[in-house]
Amino acid sequence: MAEELVRMERISKYFGRVQALNDVTLSVQRSEIVGLLGDNGAGKSTLIKILSGALRADSGEIFLRGQKVEMRTTTDAIAHGIETIYQDSALVTQLSIARNLFLGREPVKSPRLFNRLDQKSMNKAAGELLRRVGITKNIPSTTPISALSGGERQSVAIARAMHFESDLIILDEPTNNLGVEETKGVLRFVRSARDSGHSCIFIAHNIYHVFQVVDRIIVLRRGKKVADYIDPKKTTIEEVEQIITGMALDPNS
Amino acid sequence: MSSQVSPATKPLPASSSPGSRGVFRAFVAAPEFGPFVLLILEVIVFTVRTPAFLSPGNIGNLLAFTPELGMITLGMTLLMTSGEFDLSVGSVFGFAPVVMWTLYNTHTTSLEAGFLIALVVAAIIGFANGWFVTRLRIPSFLVTLGMLLVVRGTALYITDGFPQRTWTTKSALTKIIVGEISLGDLRIYASLLWFILFAVISGYVLTETKAGNWIQASGGNPEAARARGVRVAPTKMTLFILTAVISAYAGITSSIRVSAANPNSGTSYELEVIAMVVIGGTALTGGRGTIIGTVLGVLILRTMRNGIVLIGVPGLAYNIFIGAIILGMMALHSGLERRHRSGT
Ligand SMILES: Nc1ncnc2c1ncn2[C@@H]1O[C@H](COP(=O)(O)OP(=O)(O)O)[C@@H](O)[C@H]1O
Ligand SMILES: [Mg+2]
Repeated sequence: MAEELVRMERISKYFGRVQALNDVTLSVQRSEIVGLLGDNGAGKSTLIKILSGALRADSGEIFLRGQKVEMRTTTDAIAHGIETIYQDSALVTQLSIARNLFLGREPVKSPRLFNRLDQKSMNKAAGELLRRVGITKNIPSTTPISALSGGERQSVAIARAMHFESDLIILDEPTNNLGVEETKGVLRFVRSARDSGHSCIFIAHNIYHVFQVVDRIIVLRRGKKVADYIDPKKTTIEEVEQIITGMALDPNS
Repeated sequence: MSSQVSPATKPLPASSSPGSRGVFRAFVAAPEFGPFVLLILEVIVFTVRTPAFLSPGNIGNLLAFTPELGMITLGMTLLMTSGEFDLSVGSVFGFAPVVMWTLYNTHTTSLEAGFLIALVVAAIIGFANGWFVTRLRIPSFLVTLGMLLVVRGTALYITDGFPQRTWTTKSALTKIIVGEISLGDLRIYASLLWFILFAVISGYVLTETKAGNWIQASGGNPEAARARGVRVAPTKMTLFILTAVISAYAGITSSIRVSAANPNSGTSYELEVIAMVVIGGTALTGGRGTIIGTVLGVLILRTMRNGIVLIGVPGLAYNIFIGAIILGMMALHSGLERRHRSGT
């Protein structure tokens, strides 16, 4: 068995009287791509927001490489190497693509003169990254984010996660609003993440996309984990759909 | 919100704007273009109406006070780009020279020590502004409005409302800050050179450095910036302090030039300064700022004030023109932004 990277243990979360998560335990190994499936409102986004520090659980614990950690803010999570890409990606729309990619980790060049930005290398790296995530249209890295489409913005956020080599990259419905090429870019990226030793949690509406790239599928239903360790190579899409809708039980249980 | 080409996002000539047409288009689309055209128009109209406008005497006049307001606008531009602003600059402008000259005139300290103490006091005022805004999360409008009253009140209280004498010194410091320089018929002050130097430094910091990236990100999307490790609160704090110190320096400059430290001086400068900054294309809501635009904004309003008096429009009508310029420029900037967002 590979090394365990993240373990969320017995997580519960209420929103008022709605129980969004009920005693959910989830673990991700190093270099593992986990697909998180479930109907709308099943609690997928809530679960990963707790992992990324955007929400706090009412009960439960998070372990990173066996150490208990507190994810109080998104900054904590990023510092721990957990990068999340939301639909509404966290970019500064006034700044250029390159400046967003390197925000907070800007390369500077000498003579430093109040930390002079190395804009040439920023723009060059940005251009290469954009091609890797499938933005084939020739968009200069100096373009402000506000001039990009929703899909392009998402690709920029993905490019950022790729470049800074986070240990765990969480993608919550990253292919919504994306064009065909951009979607292919995201799927290619998820596959390549495994090869380069990163882990991923991949949430997507399109179950075919999930089947194409993940090692393991977890299913949430009404806040409870109803299936884990589903191997997409040994299971059909129909079987998984039945588990999601509650018409069948976890084949492993 | 901006989609305008800000200095930070201007395409590199080498990589993305082939030929002079590309450079020209980028120039026209830049937020500084409108203010630039307006300034040229002003100069043409005033020169045609009265040739005295371009006389060395008048240009010297125009350039005497301009650096003093101009210095404040530099700090304000950086601060506004980071998403905050400061209404207490005019009060600090009046208060700092009062502190310096009171210390000197009462033989409490040397002039140089008084100068440094006045700047430190200003830094403390800036720190207090920043502390209330970043720690207590009170909007900068309210914090700096309060500070405006506290600082102005203090200046009036310690002077009983009377100006402080400033002419009993031959210190080298006053020469360095605002000594007169003759260039042929044109007489300028050293403060103009300091203003140019400060403008170049702040323009460089805003567009070319890591700090500039942080300033823009702090104003553009503070949550996203913080999540990436940008230290938003310290960035704003630094800019509040910088703005207060540069306002104090400008006030001291002014007090030496006019030989009086009047506790009332600087009254309502905050509005004129903010007007200059937004006319230049810096967003009131933060995230986007331009020092070049601000310098143009300063020149536009100073030239307007100087020119309409010269051509015989009653000075009292000045505000009509200023108001019209602000409204016109805001309409232009928002129009440019919308056009850019729709992808043309
Ligand atoms: N901020 C919130 N306030 C109140 N209820 C919420 C909030 N976020 C999610 N919920 C509720 O929690 C449940 C799980 O939502 P979510 O995690 O977004 O599901 P999913 O991402 O699987 O579609 C839903 O019933 C949803 O209405
Ligand atoms: Mg969701």
